Amino acid sequence: MELVAFIIALAIAYQALKGYRLTKQKPLWYTHFGFAVLSAGLLIDSLAGLLGIVARTLRGTITFTSIGYSIYFFAQLLAYSILIYAYVSQTRTLNTPTSPVLLASLSGFATLQAAPGIVARLLGSMVEYHPGSEILLLFLVFYVAVQTGTNYSATKDRNALLVFLAFLLLALSHLFFILQPISPLLFVIGHLLQLSGFASFLAMLLRVTRNQ
Amino acid sequence: MKIYVDIMRVIQREENRAKPTRILYGANLSYDRLLKHLDELKTLGVIEEIVESDDRFYKLTQKGIEFLNQFRAVERFATAFGFAI
Repeated sequence: MELVAFIIALAIAYQALKGYRLTKQKPLWYTHFGFAVLSAGLLIDSLAGLLGIVARTLRGTITFTSIGYSIYFFAQLLAYSILIYAYVSQTRTLNTPTSPVLLASLSGFATLQAAPGIVARLLGSMVEYHPGSEILLLFLVFYVAVQTGTNYSATKDRNALLVFLAFLLLALSHLFFILQPISPLLFVIGHLLQLSGFASFLAMLLRVTRNQ
Repeated sequence: MKIYVDIMRVIQREENRAKPTRILYGANLSYDRLLKHLDELKTLGVIEEIVESDDRFYKLTQKGIEFLNQFRAVERFATAFGFAI
């Protein structure tokens, strides 16, 4: 599934780069860079997963999947931070409706980090998809989803709806990854949500580039 | 960039055959600036000038049509993410 997501993320990065070359608008450069980093993380994670399967088959001990996830986590962290910066820099000031959302997201994360006991009881033992990292990613993606949701409510543009839906599904996928210690099924649902999110990106891309 | 696109869109709206005065009002430009930009667009090869019986028209070249299509796609892409061009 990560390979499919990698291809779609790469396509988004390419389209953003084309847009930047044409218009020299910085938000498009940030979008390109963010999705390029995300696609690299997805590729590494998917390859690490495949290697991990091979290693387990050969009774290997190298934890490819953990390394792959770590790299993917940092790639996501960087990618979503860049996208957040693109939105914040576009508004140019922190005295906008976006700042309360950002502050609420970061406050929520800080609160959870300050109550590790509660988190540990809720989330159980540490697993490959570390809950703490997924919580951070959830807040970052949630902020971007709110931004794109605000854009859709203002423009009522169908492509904007697809982008909002995509980020919302990605945020939900991280929520399910956090809850996966409860049931392995939640891990699968999380990945399906992630794939659906990227499918929404693909639908947007096909719509904007038709008749190009 | 935005002014170039505005001028080209006016020409396209006029069924690819626009007089300078139509472009003037459509793109909301002064006459001097319009002439300057039209020369620049001709140099870029995205529009061409046609003279017929003392009448002057401007039309988009194939390159200009392709550029507008690409710009439209970029605009839709940027709008989808909530970025203004």
